[in-house]
Amino acid sequence: MGITDNILKRIGLGKPSGDQPVTFWSKNRGWLLLAITGAVFAAYPFLPFISDYWIDVAFFVGVYALLGLSLNIVLGEVGLFDLGHTAFYAIGAYVTAILNTTLHIPIIVLLPLSALIAAGFAYLVTSPVIHLKGDYLCIVTIGIGEIVRLTMINNPFNLTGGPNGINGIGGPNLFGLAINSSTQFYFYTWIIIGVIVFGLIRLQHSRIGRAWNYIREDATAAEASGVDVRSYKLLAFVLGAAIAGMAGNIYASKQMSISPGSFTFIESSLLFCIVLLGGLGSIPGSILGAVVVVVFPEVFRQFASYRLLFFGLALMLMMIFRPGGMWPRKREGTGLDGLGIRGLPRNDEDLILLGKPDPAILKPATTAVVRGVRLPPVTVPMDEEMLLQTHGVTLKFGGLTAVNNFDLNVRTGKITSLIGPNGAGKTTLFNMITGIYKPTSGQIDFLGRDITGLKPHTIISYGIARTFQNIRLFPSLTCIENIMSGPHCHARSGTWAAVMHTVAEVREERDIVATAAYRLDEVGLWSYRNELAKNLPYGKQRYLEIARALATAPHLLILDEPSSGLNDKESEDLMVLLQSLVKEGFTLLLIEHDMQVVMGISDWVAVMDMGQKIAEGLPKDVYNNQRVIEAYLGKEDD
Amino acid sequence: MATFFEQLINGLTIGSFYALVALGYSMVFGVMKLINFAHGDLFALGSYLGYTLLIASSSWVTVHFGLWGGMAIAMLFAFSGIGLAGVLMERVAYRPVYPAGRLSLVVSALGMSIFLQNGIMAIWGARPQAYPAAVVPSTRFSLLGLPVTSLQVVILLISFTLMLAIWFIVEKTTFGAAIRATALDRSTATLMGIDVRVVIFFIFALGPALGGIAGVMNGMYYRAISFNMGWTYGLKAFTATILGGIGNIPGAMIGGLLLGLMESLFAGYVSGAWKDVFVFFILIVVLIWRPTGLLGEKTAEKV
Repeated sequence: MGITDNILKRIGLGKPSGDQPVTFWSKNRGWLLLAITGAVFAAYPFLPFISDYWIDVAFFVGVYALLGLSLNIVLGEVGLFDLGHTAFYAIGAYVTAILNTTLHIPIIVLLPLSALIAAGFAYLVTSPVIHLKGDYLCIVTIGIGEIVRLTMINNPFNLTGGPNGINGIGGPNLFGLAINSSTQFYFYTWIIIGVIVFGLIRLQHSRIGRAWNYIREDATAAEASGVDVRSYKLLAFVLGAAIAGMAGNIYASKQMSISPGSFTFIESSLLFCIVLLGGLGSIPGSILGAVVVVVFPEVFRQFASYRLLFFGLALMLMMIFRPGGMWPRKREGTGLDGLGIRGLPRNDEDLILLGKPDPAILKPATTAVVRGVRLPPVTVPMDEEMLLQTHGVTLKFGGLTAVNNFDLNVRTGKITSLIGPNGAGKTTLFNMITGIYKPTSGQIDFLGRDITGLKPHTIISYGIARTFQNIRLFPSLTCIENIMSGPHCHARSGTWAAVMHTVAEVREERDIVATAAYRLDEVGLWSYRNELAKNLPYGKQRYLEIARALATAPHLLILDEPSSGLNDKESEDLMVLLQSLVKEGFTLLLIEHDMQVVMGISDWVAVMDMGQKIAEGLPKDVYNNQRVIEAYLGKEDD
Repeated sequence: MATFFEQLINGLTIGSFYALVALGYSMVFGVMKLINFAHGDLFALGSYLGYTLLIASSSWVTVHFGLWGGMAIAMLFAFSGIGLAGVLMERVAYRPVYPAGRLSLVVSALGMSIFLQNGIMAIWGARPQAYPAAVVPSTRFSLLGLPVTSLQVVILLISFTLMLAIWFIVEKTTFGAAIRATALDRSTATLMGIDVRVVIFFIFALGPALGGIAGVMNGMYYRAISFNMGWTYGLKAFTATILGGIGNIPGAMIGGLLLGLMESLFAGYVSGAWKDVFVFFILIVVLIWRPTGLLGEKTAEKV
């Protein structure tokens, strides 16, 4: 990226930096780059030294670029180990081949159809296994890839032609124009890629692309910030499979014959290499990776059988010397422009004012609709004073009872603290309230609704946000992107809206970034907005996590040991912030060990030991309670 | 009944190859969290090393030490050769990539695998080679009235002895405890005074070396060897590792044996062509039912 930037700067197309005057070139930079790229692509087949052979090579680069882009969604954006991606490519190719040779459906009709069928197949086979973690999911995808390939070889119902495959597939016909020469296929393919890249860039810069990245960075934190992890993973597989299916259609119509030998495990691993060589989650990277993987063996053709030997070496060397890939996606240093959101004010500071929340949204709602989220009707008697109540909540891990018959009452607009020795079960109780664990028995009521056993992302949309004991941010995303996960659960725009930039989508995106800006400013981290979260010092990371929780506009904010790791000065600042949050209308529930903090700001304290409630009351009463002192310091011998 | 017995003994033999390869796979995987795609190719290389030793001397080894002696020497040769190759591989292809993270390691491992495969092809040629009949023990006898070959019995004996030995080392010795500790938490292990470099050296030597022995036995059993046979075995070993539960030594053995048995019984009774489809299908069903494998521990993530 550095080299590219330098070259661009030298030819006058560099990014405008503060002190440089805005010129025609710097203003229309994006369009000019697009025009140059387009011109190079259009001129390529007509260059004097480019033979049909090299036009075909460019065509195959296109097929692999499509496959790389499709795997990049699953592997690069979401971080799912998919080593069986060829399965979807094969499905697309075979659907095209079978339907074209038997029912004579035109190839051009089969292009969307094979995408659709590959996507449907992906949905069917991945939904039962999508919950599997890392390597377990990896072997399942390999298994799916092998099952598809072996099925093609075994020729079920005489459909697939066995090991020899299917011959006599037709070519695409665009409204009377038959595509059959190398040049025609070249343009046909790269125009399709252009359209898909356009859509993918739009997706990358939308709440969908960000949700994928949140999952890649930390799936648990993503779920706890309101991202429906399961659905977004499935969406990635389905979209990825659709694009791979299209690549299969294009490949089959160009080759006119296909066989299982083109869809082996090594093919899947090459796709894996394409994405990693280019850079995880980088669209230009995936295309560049495809260039390397296809062109490298061609260039070394004269070395015949040694070329793959070199290729293997090159892969290792690349990972040693450029582990981030050739063209990694850059996130920091691009400013808020890098978010790709339209209609932002020219001056960043104006964004903060735009994001000031409407006070109405923080009032506990009695109606069915809160901030556009349709809640189920009120089911349990609602006490205006009690925002959250747990009734006899119990959780057993095997023989161990971590939380036993616990009743917790959280009063609206107050600060409630939960204290107790280490291992008492406090965090476990929080995990049940926020939906990470499901209680063995008991009930949790929030705003008059029974929320027991709901998924974390649903609970957060009802208005309960949390922070974690060990800070869980999205380390490789910028601070503003981290906080933008907060409003995610209240936004509604889907894939299509994101690609088309519908009016509602653009407005929603602007609201998201404005909310994030306001909260970032509120915790005093505005100046860090474009820094990566992992580069912040520890204390600031805590504040960032609190800001992320606030950005979900919760009624109840749950903080798990917010002052741990902070020094005295930082703890005092934190107390001031927490009290100001209460004034703003939030209700707070905290686990805390720092007695200064607990006694200083709590309105009500509950004490937990060995999973049970041993005391509760006003801070000063609890402080002098004999049982509490025993739990902390041990019992005096008689 | 005779078919069943035949498939059973055949399945156990193949399963013990899988188990030995999976053991090495699982050890490396457990400690390094690295999917070592080149592991299967080291197995293939072991097969070729044994083959070369036996034919290069125009069966001199076999003539002087007998069939069994020749087999033992070939296995020792492959054991040490592949052990060395494993250590070298770690130095060259993996150690420089550790800081870059797991995905980069996968690519480096794929690169290593492609390199090894094409290296074998460059040296020994693309056409399959065959262990000559003269070096393979082929006595047949009957066990409780059922026909077996002495080779099968010896393969099973060696495999089970090796598996027991590894199990003993990992589960019962102090050094094994160091391996397990390193697998669980590398930095804590270092703080407890464990020399992690020694552990890594050991697993990268022993893991592949076991595969080397399996490679020679596999060559003896099937006779034909080819440069790209490592892919299949690597994939099967990975499957067996996951089936048993990642990083779990008894899990890898059981996974491997189970895989071999399922394959050969399905091939014998239902269909040879669909056996791998069946195996992967079972794998997926097992993972849906037990997301961390048969013997894998259910670990709740700490939040």
